Amino acid sequence: MSDQTQKSMLKKLLLGTQHSSRLWAALAALCIGTTLLLLSVMIWWNFSELLYGSNQKDSLGSTYMIVGKRVTEQNMGTPSATLFSQKEIDSLKTAPEVMDVGLITSNRFPIYATLGGRLAFATDMVLESVPDNFLDKMPPEWKWTPGTRDLPIIVSSQFLDIYNYVFAPSQNLPQLSETSVKNIALTFKVGKDDKTEIFIAHVVGFSDRIGSVLAPQSFIDYGNQKFGKPGETTTTSQVLLKTKDPSDTRFGKYLKSHDYTTNSQNLRWSKIRAIVEVVTSATGILALLLMGIGTLVFILFIELTIARAQHALTLLLQIGYSPRYISKFMAGKFLPMVLGTVVASMILTIIAQVVTSSLVQSQGLVLPAIPGWPVWAALVVSSSILVVLVSKSISGAISKR
Amino acid sequence: MQLTLQGIIPVPLREKVNNYQSGIWKSNLTLNKGEFVFIQAPSGTGKTTLIHILYGLRKDYQGDIKWNESSLVTAGNEVLANLRTTNISVIFQDMRLFPELTAWENIDIKRRLTNTISENQALEWLDRLGLKDKKNATANTMSYGEQQRVAIIRSLLQPFDWLLMDEPFSHLDHVNIAKAIALISEVVKQNGAGLILADLDENNYFPYTKTLML
Repeated sequence: MSDQTQKSMLKKLLLGTQHSSRLWAALAALCIGTTLLLLSVMIWWNFSELLYGSNQKDSLGSTYMIVGKRVTEQNMGTPSATLFSQKEIDSLKTAPEVMDVGLITSNRFPIYATLGGRLAFATDMVLESVPDNFLDKMPPEWKWTPGTRDLPIIVSSQFLDIYNYVFAPSQNLPQLSETSVKNIALTFKVGKDDKTEIFIAHVVGFSDRIGSVLAPQSFIDYGNQKFGKPGETTTTSQVLLKTKDPSDTRFGKYLKSHDYTTNSQNLRWSKIRAIVEVVTSATGILALLLMGIGTLVFILFIELTIARAQHALTLLLQIGYSPRYISKFMAGKFLPMVLGTVVASMILTIIAQVVTSSLVQSQGLVLPAIPGWPVWAALVVSSSILVVLVSKSISGAISKR
Repeated sequence: MQLTLQGIIPVPLREKVNNYQSGIWKSNLTLNKGEFVFIQAPSGTGKTTLIHILYGLRKDYQGDIKWNESSLVTAGNEVLANLRTTNISVIFQDMRLFPELTAWENIDIKRRLTNTISENQALEWLDRLGLKDKKNATANTMSYGEQQRVAIIRSLLQPFDWLLMDEPFSHLDHVNIAKAIALISEVVKQNGAGLILADLDENNYFPYTKTLML
């Protein structure tokens, strides 16, 4: 096939009749279809990256909810009735929409907190801990090892709101910013009688996810072991669920059938995600349709070209050109066009991703500047299918002669 | 390469061939390499049909044809393409040139496919048949006689064991027929090939070793 003179004669015979305007139209149809397909995969991937991605500061895609057993007239006398057994926790892990289950461990030992100065107060405290990966923001100071006096704690943002907007004005006390709260050192007296230990607690962060005061898991475990009632096993009365879509009715039914309670306010939020998913899948279907039409237009163009060159094609076969040779020649003309179109589509998609990435950055969201692997996978799959379809239509149309 | 025909009956001529004795239709026949066969075929007896059947262009017949041991009935497109570039060549009655190509391009497109005859050789043949000044004329502007000479040259541009000819000189005068015969004889001899020439009337273009009535 290296003979240029021969190639140019074949080109004259087989492709000489093609209209370049129609070729461009066919290529444009193919390019639009491919670009839309890649864009819809890109949009889908970007959404799932924003919703469920691991590199998001705050993963928008999952809803955290604290689940406990309902306290009723019947079980209020027996505290163990509202505890979670291991079996129930395992069952929760496989419940619909549940991605992860974090056990909330609370202190089983007395804590007495005091604060000096103008804001002086003293109170009994409760602390809870959750696995680190359930924290919405992980402060760098968030660690504690036995023997350390300084204890980091995370406070529910609601506490600060109640203090600033309700308590401080009524008591004529100064309002506090997050930074000033972080500078306050609380003294925690842990244990009772002669077996006590003193810790200096600092607020290192605020959480929207948890409605209480959190200490590192290692601290609660240490305290429960050292100061708790001997022989008492740690029990779980509340769990933190990481759910994909709590608005899923199956999830609601599951909670109801087990008589679990939860804060259902954020169920509404997840409806937005459901809408996003519907929109992206609708875009995807539309894009597949357009890609199909684009491919069809291009293949029809090829078949039309071959049909127009039928006389020359028949004669070439009669003087000894093999169908495979002619197919190769035609594929050599059309496949680079297909691949060029696909490359152009990919370039457009990359540009779209770069633009999207910089746009969402101003909203405080993080997206990579280069399309993710599903987009590349879609590129490989769609161009392979295209190459196969085009080659098949060429050899099919030629062998029919 | 041996040619074997076994009871060939073309479907369109089925009624007709039952009514007379043909030397080829319905017969079993073996032609050996190097034979010069003349097929005399009055109008309507299927002369062109026979050439096309032998060349593998049509398959609407009963019986079997074998080039050496391989049957033409079952031969695929790739096998036929191979046969048409290395074993069998043809001069069609209706020439079958590419009308949009020039005389030279019509020759060159075949020459570059098989790569057996040099460009100079092909040019010399063009000259021998008096087509030198028609080299760059497109086929659709050429007379039948000129087209027929181009078709003759084209058929010689490949290695072959058999040359099939269907009224090859119908548009040529005596002088040009003589030139064409000289050229064909020379190339056939070089190839050690046989030839099958089908025509309406008796002739002595070549020293035939066998004459068959269609």
